[in-house]
Amino acid sequence: MIKLEALTKYYKKHARGILDVSLEIKKGEIFGFIGPNGAGKSTTVRTLLNLIFPTSGNATIDGLDIVSDTIEIRKMVGYIPSEVNFYDDMYVKDFIKYATSFHGEVDQPFMDMLVEKLELDLNRKIEDLSFGNKKKVAIVAALVTHPKVLILDEPTSGLDPLMQSVFFQLLEGEKKQGTTIFFSSHNLSEVQRICDRVGIIKEGRLIKVETVEDIMRTRAKTVRIKTDDQVDIDEHMINVEKINGYVSFVYTGETKHLVELLSHLDVKDVTITEPALEEIFMHYYERDDHDETTH
Amino acid sequence: MKQLIKTEFKRNLRSLILWSSIVAGTAALMLLLYPAFKDAFSQMEEFLSIYPEEFLEAFGMGEGGLDMSDFYGWFGVEGYLFVNLIGGSYAAILGGSILSKEEDDKTIEFLLSKPISRDHILYGKGLVVAINLLLLNTFVGIVLLIAFTIYGDLNVPVWLLFSYAPFILQMIFASLSFFISVFIVKSRKVISIALGIVIGMYVIDLISKLTDEFEYLKYITPYEYINAVTIVNDETIKPLYLLISVLIIGVSFVSAWFFYRKKDITA
Repeated sequence: MIKLEALTKYYKKHARGILDVSLEIKKGEIFGFIGPNGAGKSTTVRTLLNLIFPTSGNATIDGLDIVSDTIEIRKMVGYIPSEVNFYDDMYVKDFIKYATSFHGEVDQPFMDMLVEKLELDLNRKIEDLSFGNKKKVAIVAALVTHPKVLILDEPTSGLDPLMQSVFFQLLEGEKKQGTTIFFSSHNLSEVQRICDRVGIIKEGRLIKVETVEDIMRTRAKTVRIKTDDQVDIDEHMINVEKINGYVSFVYTGETKHLVELLSHLDVKDVTITEPALEEIFMHYYERDDHDETTH
Repeated sequence: MKQLIKTEFKRNLRSLILWSSIVAGTAALMLLLYPAFKDAFSQMEEFLSIYPEEFLEAFGMGEGGLDMSDFYGWFGVEGYLFVNLIGGSYAAILGGSILSKEEDDKTIEFLLSKPISRDHILYGKGLVVAINLLLLNTFVGIVLLIAFTIYGDLNVPVWLLFSYAPFILQMIFASLSFFISVFIVKSRKVISIALGIVIGMYVIDLISKLTDEFEYLKYITPYEYINAVTIVNDETIKPLYLLISVLIIGVSFVSAWFFYRKKDITA
């Protein structure tokens, strides 16, 4: 449904763009696109929406080219921006009317349902809304047109946990109807919660694409041991911390090597657990550049 | 595009009403002063004769210029300039901000996620500028019609020219600022530059009239294209000037379109 082929964007002013990003997102899939601020998430989103033009490479959405067919694409895409900037002087209801007017008839019962679930007040001015409430306006405006593809850039920022939960329910409903969702975020737990697959972007390069299940099942283990011995740090250990006689780290090497390593130590206590996505994420981020570019 | 035009028009309506009132109000004020000055004109002519000819010409009162004791002459010297300066300022502000405001306020991200092409955004906004300026001049035109009818014989061609010639000047300023705003998106910066052009061109107009040496400058200042002397005395706008005006407006708009369609929106 969404296909990026060696998509590259350089900015003139030395700001980092994206380099050689290739990936394919299937219809009905929720794809998490994660990386810290400045990694190239928004650049990717902006390129897909043709706010900016690719330097090289190309991308298609439902077979349509993001540059030459951008109008056709925008007819079927719902977009929630990370920073919501709408016309301050408009009332919420007028704004939503304006936003939907580009798409034709509005599904009024569906809109009423969205407004009710998100507890949105239609009779207020945009400028009087909090960030979270503006985000709700963006969610309604994006979902109400029944898009085939949703492009979300940090969609949950500003929403309280309850509303985040409502939002995820709505996304799951969309997914059931076959909507493809591109979910850009730096919050791993939400990606873990809702996404089928995850792509990790670092300094403009896509360094890993895996299913959430697989990424959780990688060799990496979180190890916590209690020992008085000196633990030699090797290259497979990351996030090493020493607190109160405990040493904890994420081990990225072979499991048998870990067992061997532990066998040489006077280990008084040990716990080995599956790492949280956050820790795996750190794992991709702390490795050297050259060995992490995988496609 | 229809929704965009409608929404844009609504959003700009309040400022249109405000500016129309200011322009028409200033024109009306100058017209109201006419009866009071009419009697003083004999003294005034004597008073004015102490000024050099070039100076009087600069304000349209020299030889072959306007007769201030005539109602149209009075308006051409005293009212028309304000209409052009204030109306021109409105045009420059509107033209310079209608497009850049979307980027400055970052609402462009919303607009460009909707199925509307950049071409249509540009046409739509350009059209709203033209409509607003036509409405402003129509409003001023109505005030002039009433005044001209009350104070003297209504000369229809002169009335129409006084009402709609400023539209040409305003469109020039609006399209120039529209073009600049493709590159400079900070509204405040665009407006400063645009107003600089409005005032700067007026200064150039004065210089071209005050000195023979720089007379050629008259070809680059829109104030000259629609000057009151030609309107009152010849009841026309010179075809050459009309052609230059259309070219400036056309080239500015087409250039704006050319660069905007390929522009990275990074706001």
